[in-house]
Amino acid sequence: MSLEQQVTLFILAVFPIYLAAFTLYIIRAIRGPTIPDSVLAIDALSFDIAAFLALLSILYRSPILISCAVVLALWVYALDVYVSKYFEAKDMGD
Amino acid sequence: MINEILVYLGEALVAIGVFCDLAASIGMIRFPNFYVRLHAATVGTIGGAFVPLIGVALIALGAEWLGTYRFFLAGASVVTAVLIIILAPVGSHVLARAAHRAGVVKVEPKVVDHLEDDRSKEVN
Repeated sequence: MSLEQQVTLFILAVFPIYLAAFTLYIIRAIRGPTIPDSVLAIDALSFDIAAFLALLSILYRSPILISCAVVLALWVYALDVYVSKYFEAKDMGD
Repeated sequence: MINEILVYLGEALVAIGVFCDLAASIGMIRFPNFYVRLHAATVGTIGGAFVPLIGVALIALGAEWLGTYRFFLAGASVVTAVLIIILAPVGSHVLARAAHRAGVVKVEPKVVDHLEDDRSKEVN
């Protein structure tokens, strides 16, 4: 078995575990009793989707997909900061 | 030879990351309140996103079938990993501070909360 087939099989074996983890995060994001719970679940979910996209770009042999992951990491940080700012000041600010 | 070493090292890191990710998501469901769930979220971001991204960078360096663009993939993965290890703890701390100060989340199974006591004394 060549190295390429071995990496492909490994990534395909890893995918269902990632999808199960995503499902549990989504359940917490929807059910979350308060808003910080949902935001925290979406936070962890998006960082994990960034890692998932990096694995997808190896599986599909198209390295250009990784540029989405950088944007996703920055976007979810902006979500955290804006939600916290709204809680503390009751105002979105600039 | 060097390609095999890089790929196996990267796969080991990805396997560690997947385990951390599953453990963090189970903790996210099972833990009782928001402040305890922060712990699960930290396991999920550092163990579940930073470590696999470093592993993907190592796999990409060893994967010759990806062509020249694999160096782009490895570099961007490392940049994303560094961004995540800086931004994820900052985001969790900012969110916890705002939730506690604004009183959005009650500390529900609570033994003692000195921060809340001190703050109510300052007001009086």
